[in-house]
Amino acid sequence: MAGSSARAPLQPFLRAGSRDPLRGGEAAAKKPVLVFDGVQKVYHQPSGSDLHVLRGVDLAIERGEFVFVTGPSGAGKSTMLKLVYRAETVDDGRILFCGRDVARLTDDSIPFLRRNLGIVFQDFKVVPTWTVAENVAIALEVLGLSARLIRQRVAMAIERVGLAGRGGDRAGVLSGGEQQRVAIARAIVGEPALVLADEPTGNLDPALALDILGLFEEIHAQGTTVMFATHDRTLLDVRPRRILVLDEGRVTDVAAGLEHFGDDFVDEEDDASAPRAIVAPTRLRRVS
Amino acid sequence: MSGSIERAKRGLIAEWRLHALSVVSLAVAFVCLGAALLVVVNLHELKERWGRTGRASVYLRDDAPPAQVEAIVAALKVIPEVKSVRYLSPADARAVVFGQGGGDPTLRNIPQEAFPASIEIDVAPEVGEAEVQAIVGKLAALPAVEGVETYGTWTARLGSVLQGGTLAALALATIVFGAVLAVVGSTMRLALTRRRAEVEVLRLVGASSSFVKTPYVLEGTFQGAIGATAAVAVLALLFFLVKTRLDADLAGLLGLDPTFLPPLVVLGMIVTGAVLGAMGGALGLRRLTAV
Repeated sequence: MAGSSARAPLQPFLRAGSRDPLRGGEAAAKKPVLVFDGVQKVYHQPSGSDLHVLRGVDLAIERGEFVFVTGPSGAGKSTMLKLVYRAETVDDGRILFCGRDVARLTDDSIPFLRRNLGIVFQDFKVVPTWTVAENVAIALEVLGLSARLIRQRVAMAIERVGLAGRGGDRAGVLSGGEQQRVAIARAIVGEPALVLADEPTGNLDPALALDILGLFEEIHAQGTTVMFATHDRTLLDVRPRRILVLDEGRVTDVAAGLEHFGDDFVDEEDDASAPRAIVAPTRLRRVS
Repeated sequence: MSGSIERAKRGLIAEWRLHALSVVSLAVAFVCLGAALLVVVNLHELKERWGRTGRASVYLRDDAPPAQVEAIVAALKVIPEVKSVRYLSPADARAVVFGQGGGDPTLRNIPQEAFPASIEIDVAPEVGEAEVQAIVGKLAALPAVEGVETYGTWTARLGSVLQGGTLAALALATIVFGAVLAVVGSTMRLALTRRRAEVEVLRLVGASSSFVKTPYVLEGTFQGAIGATAAVAVLALLFFLVKTRLDADLAGLLGLDPTFLPPLVVLGMIVTGAVLGAMGGALGLRRLTAV
C-alpha cells in the first residue's frame, strides 16, 4: 500500500521554481515521507536547568504508513509533531519532510510546508462561528483554488468524515466528536502528504475515540500517511501497527503492538477485571 | 482578494457591535473635522466674495472744480473693469446716511457740509483685489480727490481669520488622524484577540501572513470609510437644517449664501477615512508576526 496510492500534494511546500520532491517519479515515491536524523530538542527552563525532550532521535516514516507515537505524558509526543510542522525548531539534527529539511525553511516558506500537512489536535481547533463547510474550505482557500472546486472537494471531505448534509451547520453547535470530524475533514481536504494527529481522541469518550480512530484508518486505507500521537493504550491495541515509543527523549520503534515492547509501560488506571472492549482510555506512565 | 473581502465581511458581521462602536467613534471625530472644514470653506468663500466686491468710494475735495469731477466720472466709465459709476453730492450722501439710519432725528441735525461729495464705483465681480488697488492708486493721485476708501482692510482681516481657521482645522485634522489610527488599531487588536482561534487555524492550514492580515486591514478600511461617510451625512443633515431655518439671516449677515463641503472635499474625507482605517488596521496587526 505504501507509496502506490499516495496522492501528490496540491502544491510543493517550497517556493515556486523549487523542485517538488513528490513529483520526482518512482524514485522519489520510494523515499520516506518523513525522516528524523539525530534530532535533539532542549527546553531551557526558567529554573536554569535544561529539559532534554528529544535526544538524537532517528526514524523514518514511509509513504502510506500508519504510525502511532506514544509515551508517557510529557515524553515529547506533541513536541515531535510540532517540530514537523515547524511550530518548534530543532536544536540539532535534521527533519526531512519529502526530502526537504524542515528546520532550514525560512518563515516565509513555513505556510508552504503546512499546506502539505494535515494537522488534527486534541482540542479540535475549529472556528466555532464558522460553518462546517467554511472550516473545511479554509484549507483550500489558502491554496487559491476556484470557488467551484473548493465546494466540490469540501462536500467530498465532509461526506468522507460522515457529516454529509451538515455543511451549513455552525461548528460551535456540534458535539465534540463531530467537531473532531470537521477538523479531520479540514486536514484531509487538501490531500496532504502526511496527516499529523496530536492526541485527537483525548477529549472524546471511548466509543467516540474508537470511531475517530476508525476514521483515520479509512483515510489511511486510501493512501494517506498518518502519524498518530496518543497515550491511549486501548487505541494501540485495536489493530497491529508500527508504534514509536517515546521515553526520556529517545524513540523505540516497535513493529506492532505494545505487548511486544515489554513491561516498561503499564496503564495507570488499568482494571484487569474490566472487559477489554469497554476499557476507558488510560494514561501510560513509566515504571521506574 | 474576493476571499479576503468575504472573510472581512464575515468578521464585520460576527463582531458588529465592536465595529459599530468603532464607526461611531470615527464618525464623531470626522464630524469635528468636517465642521472645521465647513467653516474654513465658507470663510474662504466669503473672503473671495468680499475680495471680488470691488467697491470704492472716491471722496472729492470741497474745492474740486466740477469740470474735473465730470472728467473723472467720464474716464472711469470707459474703464472695462468698472461696472458702474455714480456721483454723490453732499446732499445725496446725507440723504443716504439718513435713510440707512432709519430716520434717526440726530442724523437730521448733522450739517450737509459734513458729507463730502464722492464718486461711488462698482468694479466687476471677476476683477481681483490687485486690479482694484491699481485703479484706487491712480484715483488717489488726482488733485480733485481727497481720498479713496475700499474694502481691502476688511478682506485683509478676513484673510487673517481664514488663516487662523485653516491652522485650527489642520491641528484638528492631525488630532482626528491620530484618533482614527488609535481607534481602528485598538479595534483590530481586540478583534484579533477575540478571533485568536481563527488566526491559529489559518496559520495551521498554511495561510500566508498577508492572507491572515488582509481581511483585518480591509475591516479597518471599511470602518474608516463608513465612519467618514456617516460623518458627512450627519454634517449635511445639520447644515441643511440650520440653513433652512437661518438662511435669510445668514445671507444678510455674511453677504453670501453658505455652502456645504464641495464634492471633492467630501470624497477626500471618505478616502482619507478609508486610508487611515487601513493604516490603523495594519498598525493593530504589528504583533501578528509569529508563524
